[in-house]
Amino acid sequence: MTRTIRAEFIKLATTRMWWGMLLGLVALVALNVVPSALFAGQNFGAGIPASPGLDEVAGLTAVYGAGYQSGYLVMLVLGAIIGAADLRHRTATQTFLATPSRGRVIVAKMVVALVAGLLYGAVSQVTTVLVAWPVVLARGAELRLGDSEVLRSLLLAIPGIALWGVIGVALGVLLRNQIAAILVSILYVFVGDPLIAGGLSLADVDGAVPYTPNNVSAAVVGAFTGFDLLTWWAGLLMLLAYGVLIALLGWAIGRRRDIA
Amino acid sequence: MSSTPAGVAGRGDRRIEIEGLTKRFGSLVAVEDLSFTVEPGRVTGFLGPNGAGKTTTLRMLLGLVRPTAGRSTIGGKPYHELSQPLGVVGAGLENSSFHPGRSARNHLRWVAATHGIAATRVEEVLELVGLEKDAGRRVGGYSQGMRQRLGLATAMLDDPDVVILDEPANGLDPQGIAWLRSLVRNLAAEGRTVLISSHVLSEVQQSVDDVVVIARGRLVHKGSLTSLGGAAGVEVVASDPAALRAALIAAGLTLTDGPGDRLRVATADVAAVGDVAHAAGVALRYLAPAATDLEQTFFRLVAEGERRR
Repeated sequence: MTRTIRAEFIKLATTRMWWGMLLGLVALVALNVVPSALFAGQNFGAGIPASPGLDEVAGLTAVYGAGYQSGYLVMLVLGAIIGAADLRHRTATQTFLATPSRGRVIVAKMVVALVAGLLYGAVSQVTTVLVAWPVVLARGAELRLGDSEVLRSLLLAIPGIALWGVIGVALGVLLRNQIAAILVSILYVFVGDPLIAGGLSLADVDGAVPYTPNNVSAAVVGAFTGFDLLTWWAGLLMLLAYGVLIALLGWAIGRRRDIA
Repeated sequence: MSSTPAGVAGRGDRRIEIEGLTKRFGSLVAVEDLSFTVEPGRVTGFLGPNGAGKTTTLRMLLGLVRPTAGRSTIGGKPYHELSQPLGVVGAGLENSSFHPGRSARNHLRWVAATHGIAATRVEEVLELVGLEKDAGRRVGGYSQGMRQRLGLATAMLDDPDVVILDEPANGLDPQGIAWLRSLVRNLAAEGRTVLISSHVLSEVQQSVDDVVVIARGRLVHKGSLTSLGGAAGVEVVASDPAALRAALIAAGLTLTDGPGDRLRVATADVAAVGDVAHAAGVALRYLAPAATDLEQTFFRLVAEGERRR
């Protein structure tokens, strides 16, 4: 198993895709965090209530969490690319010649996505702090990185982002088509999940609302969503459960498929 | 098929055995009730026109395609039961590829990692196939011939006892084909079991000992290369045909009528025929090896096989 994981890690590290995605991650996080820091607590009028200001912990965690969704979306897409890469580039033959167990290959890819996800998550959080820093200070507020609530939110985002990589691999394995897996990933996070949460709420099954993947992720960092959320550890477990369930489904459907 | 030549040390003596292998894709029968064995220490040509089911058969043997019926084993085990498969079987398959953005060396590195193969071995196989200078370049810029070489390097990575190559001559230049021929001969001489597929008999004719011919997914012939017929011959035209006939018969050679006014002599030895003519004082107008009729036999077998369905 460790050899298969090593092989999958080498695959990820030896094309330019991983650092292209990392650059994209840094750019997206910065594009979300900087405006959030600039406009936190400002009153735009027109009846729109002001968001919490930078003098409040809630305001700071909102700024630090502004890039979180971009972070996990990038990781979801990266995972999907990893999960479907062998079929896209016709390397599946070589992969399964070397490792005939398909389940073992899927698990190795999930482990690689998780480890890479921790790195991507860490980069995302370092980027967040570095770009928020000048804006927060310029607006005369403090970073308050030592505050336990701020720190916890910043750090928990790292596994929160990483676990979406596992979900991405599972999605890539299930859908088999890399482009389709990428499109489904983006559409789900931005459109599908909000629609499902809204629909559940309208249908008066509010108890299910905290279990949608976006809301589970929000629970991990304690973000404000307007819903009652799970605890952070239940959120992490739920993300893992989503990844494992989708992967099991992909494995069950694909394990008897011909590699041609 | 005949047994392993005496004197070849067994490298585990792994035989490929295919029994009643069948694959249907919906109503299409790709391979039907195919049985044959491939012996160690010999090169076996797996022949048939494009679409005959060669690649599907190899993919079933390698556990990539699930057979509808039948079984196949390598050294007595189905592929998925091999614990370190690349050390038993090295395969280069058609329609398998490399990530265009990854270098040849890095491709070999990840495959090596699956079996804990040392980095020095990666350099060895690069050298074996003559890719050491291009190994750092991304495969996307490789020619078809370079990809074939990389496929071969991948197959040889864990020094396998059984080597399976699917259309290995595709994309190789004539020098490359000659190089491949000697490599394949050496692999068999080392006692390995070698199976190479091709849709062109002449491409592998000089490297194979045995042949398995299929058409439309069914076996049409198996046996040694010579079992395809096409005994060696020399064609000759003399100014005095009657005198030459007498001289050749006196020398113990068998004669038949060749095309046109040519006389066909049942021997591979062109020089011997020339010497007999010279000793008899007969002037020759033409003397050359006869075109082999292996290819003709191959076409006839395939055509018969295709008519049967």
